[in-house]
Amino acid sequence: MDKRVILNRMRRNPFFVVGSIAAVVVIVLLVFGPMLIDFDPEANSLTERFLPPEGFSKGLDGHILGTDQLGRDVLIRLLIGGRYSLMIAFIVVVLQVVVGTILGILAGYFGGIVDSIIMRACEVFLAIPNLILAIAIMAILGTSLVNLIAVLTFSGWVNCCKVTRNNVRVIKNQEFVKASRVLGAGGYHIMFRQIFPNVTTHIIILASQRIGMTIIIEAALSFLQLGIQPPTPSWGNMISAGRMYMTTQPWLVFAPGIALMIAALAFNFLGDGIRDVLDPKRTAV
Amino acid sequence: MLKYIGKRLLQTLLVLFIVSIFAFALIHMAGGNPALLLLPDGASDEAIKAMEHELGLDQPLYIQYIQYMIGVFQGDLGMSTAYKIPVADIIAERLPYSIKLTMGTVLVGCSLCIPLGIIAGSNRGKPVDFFAMFFALLGNSMSAVWLAVLNVFVFSVWLGWLPSMGAESFSNIILPALTLGYPMAAEITRVGRSGMIDTLSEDYITATYAKGISRRVVNWKYAFKNALIPIITLVGMSIGSYLAGAVVVETVFAWPGIGQLTNQAVGNRDYQLVQSLLLVSAALFTLINLVVDIINSLVDPRVSLE
Repeated sequence: MDKRVILNRMRRNPFFVVGSIAAVVVIVLLVFGPMLIDFDPEANSLTERFLPPEGFSKGLDGHILGTDQLGRDVLIRLLIGGRYSLMIAFIVVVLQVVVGTILGILAGYFGGIVDSIIMRACEVFLAIPNLILAIAIMAILGTSLVNLIAVLTFSGWVNCCKVTRNNVRVIKNQEFVKASRVLGAGGYHIMFRQIFPNVTTHIIILASQRIGMTIIIEAALSFLQLGIQPPTPSWGNMISAGRMYMTTQPWLVFAPGIALMIAALAFNFLGDGIRDVLDPKRTAV
Repeated sequence: MLKYIGKRLLQTLLVLFIVSIFAFALIHMAGGNPALLLLPDGASDEAIKAMEHELGLDQPLYIQYIQYMIGVFQGDLGMSTAYKIPVADIIAERLPYSIKLTMGTVLVGCSLCIPLGIIAGSNRGKPVDFFAMFFALLGNSMSAVWLAVLNVFVFSVWLGWLPSMGAESFSNIILPALTLGYPMAAEITRVGRSGMIDTLSEDYITATYAKGISRRVVNWKYAFKNALIPIITLVGMSIGSYLAGAVVVETVFAWPGIGQLTNQAVGNRDYQLVQSLLLVSAALFTLINLVVDIINSLVDPRVSLE
């Protein structure tokens, strides 16, 4: 596709514009925000429990979003928790895409028994609802950051695999692939040099849409105490802890809840925007 | 047609077979001796040996697996180590709650949003379309965690209209059903809208316009039916996954369904229960998907030809 066409579509697509601006703002806040705030996200300070939000009345030195049940600054926990969420989501999506794409290309290219085995594996993973599978595996492997990333990857690569496989099955019968085989290219070269560049569009679309989803699933696992473990902050475990104080200190659950919603919304907008911009079906419209 | 159904049935059975091995292997990786958990503290070595023998733990793994599967086909899913009663009884007690919640959720999801999706799709680019898309994206971005807590805050704490937990009366089901129903409604809106857009660009729709049939009749009589197919698939899959356990929502609202049970089983390290729950969840989910596929192939014969 022509770069100018894509740029033009990007500019004119409200989802893409709003989503990309919001996503950039979220990332910048999470990366640079913690450097401006001088509180420890994990150290208790029992004399300062449940301070209500002070806003910017003391500039950046006060507890802008108040403090929690252990006297920790809510804002710094929010930002650090967000860093974890986003970092995990990016790593997980990249891993999902790598695993899904490689298996999808292998299944689509070789067909036959390889295809059958990989597709049956996909069906098995599709047969157990995502969160149930993640919960069972986390409970058995134990909770750690590496396990969390592994489990999230494990329960989400199928989509990418199926889409890639279906694309490859169409592409491998096209003439340029036959031509390259006639020229003596090996399987590896055909799969990853010839076919792969032709399936990237769908992969980018899928990946961009999975980021928001992964943030949400990670929050659910952390909420159920199977994800990031306290005292390390994450939006999920902050909501879980703040829920107890909902009637008296509502900011403890509203801050992470709204942050979670904004982050997911930003990346979902971006994902939808990217789909609209890149979707080959729309070229005709 | 029959061939298609038979093929899908075989596929489903194969998948369930692999899931059963997977669940069995996973639980054995967890380790721990179920015999110790079932016996009182300080049981003698002979008692432990006897219990292990009774549970078949002294047999090789593949025999244990075969015995477990024979039990499954006879309705025996093993003993829960935490509750000390048969797993099948626990699941039978919880499943009706999951069914109730699923029905409530589907009611919320479908009643609001099938019309919204269809109207949005047939008015592409108009304000109603924009509203529907925003509604859908917001629903996709609302995690169950945050939406559940928000609903409790608004309807229980602030307005005081609805109870925030329990399952005794009708009013208990409203909040969990709303919480689960909103993301589903959002997804239905989205799928209905894009289904409608795809259908309306088909040649046969242009042909009906050319015959002078009014826009409303074309939308609701011709295009609607075709746009319904992806919605049926989606609703079916949602039913499957909610039956298999809406863990977060059931936990927040203390709704005693399969999802809450899964979370409790994991918390109690009740691995026999977890293993059987994995199997039951997968069975519910895949069987519902099978039914959906069959319904789809009845609605649209092209499906079975793929």
